Amino acid sequence: MKKDLKIRLLEVFSPIFAFIIAVLLSSLIILAINKNPIEVFYTMFKFSFRRIDSIAIILYNATPLIFSGLAVSIGFRVGLFNIGVEGQYLIGAFCAALVGFAIKGLPSFIHLPLVILSAILGGMLWAIIPIYLKVKKGVHEVISTIMLNYISLSLIHYFIADLFLDRNQKVVLGLGSTLIRMPKIMPSALMPKMHGFLSLFGINLPNHVYLNWFFPIAIILSCVIYYVIWYTPFGYELRAVGFNPIASKVAGINPNSLYIKGFLLSGAVAGLVGLSDLLGYFGYMDLDFPKGYGFTGIAVALMGKNNPFGIILAAILFGFLNRGAEGIQTFLGVPMDTVVILQALVILSVVVVSEVMIRYIRYLDKKGAKI
Amino acid sequence: MEKIIKLTNITKKFPGLVANDNINLEIEKGEIHAIVGENGAGKSTLMKILSGLYQPDSGEIYIKGKKVIIRNPRHAIKLGIGMVHQHFMLVSRFTILDNIILGSEKSKAGLIDYELAEKEVTDLLKRYNFELDIHEEVGSLSVGQQQRVEILKVLYRGADILVLDEPTAVLAPQEVKELFINLRKLKEQGKTILFISHKLDEVLEIADTITVLRKGRLIKTLKRNEVKDKSELAELMVGRPVILKYSKEDIKRGKPLIEVKELIVKNESDRRVLNGVSFSVYAGEIYGIAGIEGNGQKELVDSLMGLLSKESGEILLNNVDIKNLNVNEIKRIGVGFISEDRHKEGLVLPMTVWENSVLGYHRDREFGLWYRLNVNRIIEHCDNIIKNFDVRLSSMFIPIKGLSGGNQQKIILGRELIRNPKIIIASQPTRGLDIGASEFVHQLLIKARDEGCAILLISADLEEILALSDRIGVIYNGEIVAEFESKEATPDEIGYYMTGGKRKVEV
Repeated sequence: MKKDLKIRLLEVFSPIFAFIIAVLLSSLIILAINKNPIEVFYTMFKFSFRRIDSIAIILYNATPLIFSGLAVSIGFRVGLFNIGVEGQYLIGAFCAALVGFAIKGLPSFIHLPLVILSAILGGMLWAIIPIYLKVKKGVHEVISTIMLNYISLSLIHYFIADLFLDRNQKVVLGLGSTLIRMPKIMPSALMPKMHGFLSLFGINLPNHVYLNWFFPIAIILSCVIYYVIWYTPFGYELRAVGFNPIASKVAGINPNSLYIKGFLLSGAVAGLVGLSDLLGYFGYMDLDFPKGYGFTGIAVALMGKNNPFGIILAAILFGFLNRGAEGIQTFLGVPMDTVVILQALVILSVVVVSEVMIRYIRYLDKKGAKI
Repeated sequence: MEKIIKLTNITKKFPGLVANDNINLEIEKGEIHAIVGENGAGKSTLMKILSGLYQPDSGEIYIKGKKVIIRNPRHAIKLGIGMVHQHFMLVSRFTILDNIILGSEKSKAGLIDYELAEKEVTDLLKRYNFELDIHEEVGSLSVGQQQRVEILKVLYRGADILVLDEPTAVLAPQEVKELFINLRKLKEQGKTILFISHKLDEVLEIADTITVLRKGRLIKTLKRNEVKDKSELAELMVGRPVILKYSKEDIKRGKPLIEVKELIVKNESDRRVLNGVSFSVYAGEIYGIAGIEGNGQKELVDSLMGLLSKESGEILLNNVDIKNLNVNEIKRIGVGFISEDRHKEGLVLPMTVWENSVLGYHRDREFGLWYRLNVNRIIEHCDNIIKNFDVRLSSMFIPIKGLSGGNQQKIILGRELIRNPKIIIASQPTRGLDIGASEFVHQLLIKARDEGCAILLISADLEEILALSDRIGVIYNGEIVAEFESKEATPDEIGYYMTGGKRKVEV
């Protein structure tokens, strides 16, 4: 029993060890550009946590990463490596944008859910291809999803810049130019901010904060996924197939069916990744729509140990890093890229530390087994 | 006589366990010295110390009277100690000659001196009476022949002490005989042989001296003629009297519950791996399938469980044609299934014990509905298995990989047998288990038989087949080539058919 506790603790603390290592390593880099690492990290913290609106921005930053981390983790659970969250969320966001501007005159309580549903279906659509290829033709999902990421990117560029380009933009003469974007999404499909709700509790957020209801949706979804994975027969089968497809097959679970269901679920969640930005901030989809959440999601899932609650924490950490980056750039003149390096180091050290931990735990296990 | 190996006070500790506890062992030159013990008794650790894979924590090793520290396997072979592994380390696409010289090739002008190698290896073959064509590819050899190549490999490297780790585990009875002839020949030539085994009959047949290990300690070293019989040795090994013959009730044969008719199964490359197999198993009997592994046993079991589609033929389980049924549906008509490889097929090792206790039955109504597993009920169920099947564990909430092999197997048995199946298909049910756990498994199967269950037992262990079965079918090359009433069967005769002797005329 004592040994189990030790293993548990190691598992919980390994991401924290990893983070500390990453901080130490990036201190060296900060030193190399002639800045004081302590000052840099202090500024990051101070800038991020001194004001309530800054915390809200962190949570807003974390929202897409929670969805993305969850999507990746569902793939991991069933033993599949969904690198394609990136492409899936772009397609999902595009579908949402399309349904958001093309359908007019619906009340918000129908239109918004419809838009969210289209995003889910878009993500799933983009997940069908790799999982079909995997199950029927034996194509490894890593290869096909990477390729599909490129295809999706080019495809939405084509849609945005050509097929669905908003050609009716009014530009005040002599001021700026038109944006390369799709038509604006109807107000009935936009996600409201949380400002009104939070002001009930005396928390007043300024207007430049875009924290919206997708954040609580992400938290609720995490809880739902946690329940599904650990307390339903479906989640049981997902995990069984993920760990040992042969034993699952012998036990009457069809691994292929679980691969399909798991991957589509992963794609469905991936479809939600871009919505907080799309429906809570931009209100339209343009060429500069944020990219890279899918890849960061892999890091979030790794760091969160595929545990939905771990993923929330990891996503918030990454949200904080992004927020802190703005702070050190503004106040210390340290380039934001330093934080990109820090993020990369976090990812690397999480991988290395968890590998070391796994070996150590395996060693402890062996020790235990023989007693 | 000269002591070729002397170990004094050898202790090797692993965290939390003493694998070798103060072992004192002397081995005489030119003897066949058997080391017996259950799994985990410390046999392998001791041999790994001798072959340089492990360093002892304390104690001394003397080889040919000189104190040595064996740094690594290469050093061991320099000292004359050659290890013949249980799992062969051969390159199947290479010829015998290539395999033998691999790693110690002698070269001439930068090229391998094949002329010299061929001469040396041929001499070696002559000297020890090995009959092999050295230009044949290793992949096309039988298991017994491959083992001879392994032995030749260490001889070529100049070993005069051969360590054989469970050499008979993979061999048919005839091949065991041939191996023993080779070993005796080697002994005549002055080689010393360390023979690790837990098959007591074989040990008694071949060994001059027997050392018994138990839980890391050396219990006793005896001369062959000091040992009365097998049970004495088994008792030393286990530390208590052991049942070697099971008492079974007289057979009350009922209706046929497993009927296999003209079953033909092809593999991916369109070869018939089962070629017209027919047999029946009746309620109240154990039908054993004897055979060397890879002769279609796995395909037979998979077909019976609906995991493999057949070319033609018919399978009736409990009078139900299973043609269109999957493994779930087959289990629901009262079939309990113990698969051959518990780690690969029977369990999901990283999942907890309680989760594994319902693997395959987790969709049953009693364990929950589609949206909710009834965890409390499953835990209760698991507790039941633990109590009824004597599973020893610290907690059911740990991953099942933390349990010993015997306890893992008990969980599987419990999972499959607690539902009182009418049919049990048990494939290699005691593989890798120690004597105590094997005994437990055997008694469970016999109890099920006495209660009227039809049991199909597939095992590579002929002793197990003979001890449990009422009838025995011998499988060779995808066919049942002979069928015996167990009382009439002798190991020799079964072995004859196992290795491809002619088909027995229908009786």
